[in-house]
Parts: sequence; structure tokens; C-alpha cells
Amino acid sequence: MRPLAKRQFLGLCCLVVIVGLTVIARLLVYRDISGVLTWEWTGSDAMSLRWTAVRVAAIAGASLAVSGVLLQALLRNPLASPYILGASSGAALAVVMVMYLQSSLAITWNLRGMDTMPAAVGAVGTLGVVYLLGQKRGWLDPISLVLVGVVVTAICGALIMFFHHLLPHGLKADLVTWMMGIIRQGASTSELIITGSIALIGSAIALFFGRAMDAATLGDDEARSIGLSLGPLRLVLFVVAGILTSAAVALAGPIGFVGLIAPHAARLILGPKHTVLVVGAALAGIALLIGADVASQIISVQGGRMPVGVFTALIGGPAFIWLLRSGRGRS
Amino acid sequence: MSLRLENLSHRYGSLDTLQRISVQAEPGKITAVLGPNAAGKSTLLKCVIGSERPVSGHVYIQGSQVTDLSPRQLAQHVAYVPQRSTVAAAFTVQDVVELGRYALPRNPSRIQNALANLDLLELAHRPYPALSVGQQQRVTLARALCQVEDNGIMVLDEPTSAMDLKHMQQCMTLLRQLAERGITILLVLHDISMAAQVADAVWLLERGTLVASGSVAEVLQPDRLKSVFHVPFAWIQETAGRRRLVALMQSTVNVDTMEQP
Repeated sequence: MRPLAKRQFLGLCCLVVIVGLTVIARLLVYRDISGVLTWEWTGSDAMSLRWTAVRVAAIAGASLAVSGVLLQALLRNPLASPYILGASSGAALAVVMVMYLQSSLAITWNLRGMDTMPAAVGAVGTLGVVYLLGQKRGWLDPISLVLVGVVVTAICGALIMFFHHLLPHGLKADLVTWMMGIIRQGASTSELIITGSIALIGSAIALFFGRAMDAATLGDDEARSIGLSLGPLRLVLFVVAGILTSAAVALAGPIGFVGLIAPHAARLILGPKHTVLVVGAALAGIALLIGADVASQIISVQGGRMPVGVFTALIGGPAFIWLLRSGRGRS
Repeated sequence: MSLRLENLSHRYGSLDTLQRISVQAEPGKITAVLGPNAAGKSTLLKCVIGSERPVSGHVYIQGSQVTDLSPRQLAQHVAYVPQRSTVAAAFTVQDVVELGRYALPRNPSRIQNALANLDLLELAHRPYPALSVGQQQRVTLARALCQVEDNGIMVLDEPTSAMDLKHMQQCMTLLRQLAERGITILLVLHDISMAAQVADAVWLLERGTLVASGSVAEVLQPDRLKSVFHVPFAWIQETAGRRRLVALMQSTVNVDTMEQP
């Protein structure tokens, strides 16, 4: 691997410091049963729950951010995000379908744990459909992928609304909360080990293909002419991005904008080379999601905490518009 | 390195873009590929670099079929310069030129030489998207320059279409130097006069068929050019005894019959 430039080294150091600060803040913030906010180092049980939340946010943030880097390289579009291929809507559709079946069969439904498997199956299943339909001449085609992703997302959206309409009132609120993203303090160790391993392996694969992603920024003919096998690379990027997104959605729900904003924040600090960008985006994603979780702990509206997705969207939405307005989306 | 096309045919949908083309490019020579729009020039180049698959026939590089070579193997023999390069990231000029070594061992001195040969040293750390189209063409040429090995093949599609005169001449001088090092140059040009000056051999295409191939003098005959391009051409004598091919302007409007305002 080539040596880091001074700017890249300093940028990575800054991101590590920011991640550390958000982790410390998340471990300190504490809201008691009566809703009073305090900042203190408390007993081991409470600390264990907060560590779990930190790990959930870190795994989901890194997975979504690295997935965003891969998809932006795959689709050659800096405005691509992990949900452009329909993973989140597929996950949400599976969750709402299972909720409906459970409610109609009168089985007790615990959304804060049992949604992991249907969400993962839904996300992977939808990505499989998009993969099959997004090919041209036997290989994945960026434009076909985006178009198929948009159509599949729209169809899933309609079906989500259909099943949402059929759900009992109590479950409707649970679904909406899940769809805004939940950093669960009660995630199980096995969930953390599986999704954490996926995040680590996925990020390692992304690092390995960093230089290939640099080459893939060229047009198809040119990329091939310098020796890049575009078809196999696109397949790898699609599969890895899909699995990372599915893991993140299964763990924390379809949290928006992390996969779009984290790669861009890293790109602004570290430049466009993908090997460094993968690491930087993962750190930025971790910081963004833990930071958003801290904000959701601190900000209490009418006695209830805001879903973490509200804060990532509040940061991500304006940033997205800024990207569009400044023309960075075209570069 | 020898480059041979054998009965090469290509089709886009129902449109025959290339029809049974058999021709050979000599190592160490500049071969100009000429023809009007939609003659099949760019498609022919894409078949040579393996981006387009022929419906029949083959492209052979040093006896191996292009379709049998992986992109990595092909990149070690053939460098490609498109008319307009696309880079979907804000890489610096140096980053883009370095991509030429993607399938080859790193060679910092080659990269510096390529930058220097195309007057790009001062622009090396500028973002590629911020350059003018002519400057971007020089960057693309520099990338191919640090990719192509001695005895290799360089395939160029209108590489100078947006360059200023100085850099256009610099580029053509550079191609001549590469040819003298044994590199096979395949060059698509629209400027027939320039092709007549720089090329050693010419392939003349029209609607996907090879009208003629051979030396400049053999192929670029005014009558033949007129029938292909529908524009009159003439060889004129220059003072130094050299001959130059020029396209004669033809007006479709008779000025004498125009009404005065």
C-alpha cells in the first residue's frame, strides 16, 4: 500500500478523535426513569447497555458508510446510497409482512428483537431481484441497476403501505419507529458478533478493491483498457454492499443518509482515493451514528426520545441539498 | 507488436457497423484510420481493445486473439486513448496518469516523464475535472504514454480534437517518437491533411467497409477521397518540395445570385 499523504494522515487522526469523543459522550449520557438527563459514569449494568448501543451504532454506521462508498463506485454516481438498490424497502416490507402475519395469527410480536431475521431476508431477497434485473449483456449495468432499484423500491413502498393499512393501530407505531432506525441497547451478543464480522470482512474486502475502484471511475472502455475486469468487480461491489446494507438494516433498521453523507464527509477530508476513503467513511459513519444516538438520548420531546433516523436525516438532508447545489454530485 | 484484423464484422442491433475487414498494422508505423461519420472507425478501435465483440472474424495481437486475452493481459500490450475521457472523481492529474500503470508494476519515473512530455508538470496536482477539454486530452495521452511498453500498441481515437495547435504538433511529434521505438500506432483522425502528414499507412473506411488500405500516397487519392467524403481534395506543392493534401472548400450557395440588402 502506498504511504499516506500528510493531509490524509491528519484527516484520519481527526476522524479517530471525533469517534472517540462520540463514544465517550454516549457512555456518559444518562437519562433516568423519570426522564432527567445527567452525564455520569454509572454502574456496570447501565454501562453494559450503553456499550451495546455504542457497538450497534458503530457496526451499523460503518456498514452503511462502507456500503455507500462501494455503491458510489459501482454506480459511478456520488449521489448513490445503500438504499438506492431497494435493500431498506425490501427489509421494511418483510418486517411489515411478518408483523401482519403475526397479528392476524394472534402471536405476540416483539419487534425489538425478532425483526432481525425478516429484515435481513427481505433486504437480501430484494437485492437478489435487483441483481437479476439489473444486468445488461450478462454483466451488471449501473444505469439498469439504478432504474430497477428505483422501481423495486416503489413497488415495495406500495406493498408496505398496503400491509401497514392492515396492521392493528398499536403495531403501526412500532413499524414507523423501526423504519426511522433504532439503536437497540438490548441487541444480543450473537447479533453483534454476526453483524460485526460482516462489517469487518466487508470493509476488508472494500480496502482490497480500493485501487480497482479508483480505476472504475474511468469510463467502461478506458477502465477495461488499463486492465480492469469491470464485470467481476461490479459483482463483488454489489454483493459486498448488499450484504453490508442488509446487516445494518437487520441490526438497526433502515437508518437514512449515513451511507450518503459519511462517504462524502470522508471524501472532503481525505480526497477521492478509495483505499483511504473506505477507512475514513467507516470512521465518519461510526461518528455520525453514535453522535446521532447521543443526540436522541439528549433531546427529549414530550417525554419520548426521537428515533435516531430523525437526526441522521436532519444532518443528511441539508448536506444532500448542499451537495446538489454545489455541483459536487456531478464531479 | 503485430496487429491483424481478419474478416472482422460487427453489428449494433440490425446495423452492420463493420463488414469483413481484413487488414494489418505494421509495428513501428503510424496507421491512420480515416472515414466519414459512422464509417465504423471508433467501433474498429473498440474491437481492437476488446470492448466490443465482433459477430464474426478476429483481431490478432502478436498471434493471440484479443477475445482470448483478459483485460489485464490486453492492457500489458495495448494502450487506448478515447476522444473524450470520463473520470467520475476529483482525482488530480497525477492520479489519473498513474492509473495507466494499474495492470503494470509501479514506475514513478515513467509517470514523471509522461507528465513532462505533455507539459503537465505544472498541472500535476490540479483536479482533473477543473481542466479544459484540451488539457484533459493531454492527461489521457500521458496516461496511455506511461502504460504502453516498447513494441506495444497504442490506439488513439481523435486524441487531438480539442488541443491547441502547439500541443497538437507536440502530440504528433510524440507519436512519431513512439513509432520509432517500435510501438504500433493506430490513430483515428478527422483531419485528412494532418493524417497525410503524420501517417505511414492509411485504412480508409466507409459505412463499415474497408475502401482502401496501404501507404498514404496509394490510399489518399483525390478521386477516391471525393467519392468517400463528398468533398474535393487536391495535393498541392509546397516551397520545400513537399506535397500537402488539402480539402477544397465548396460553397453550396451561389453568392452572385444572393440579393443585396
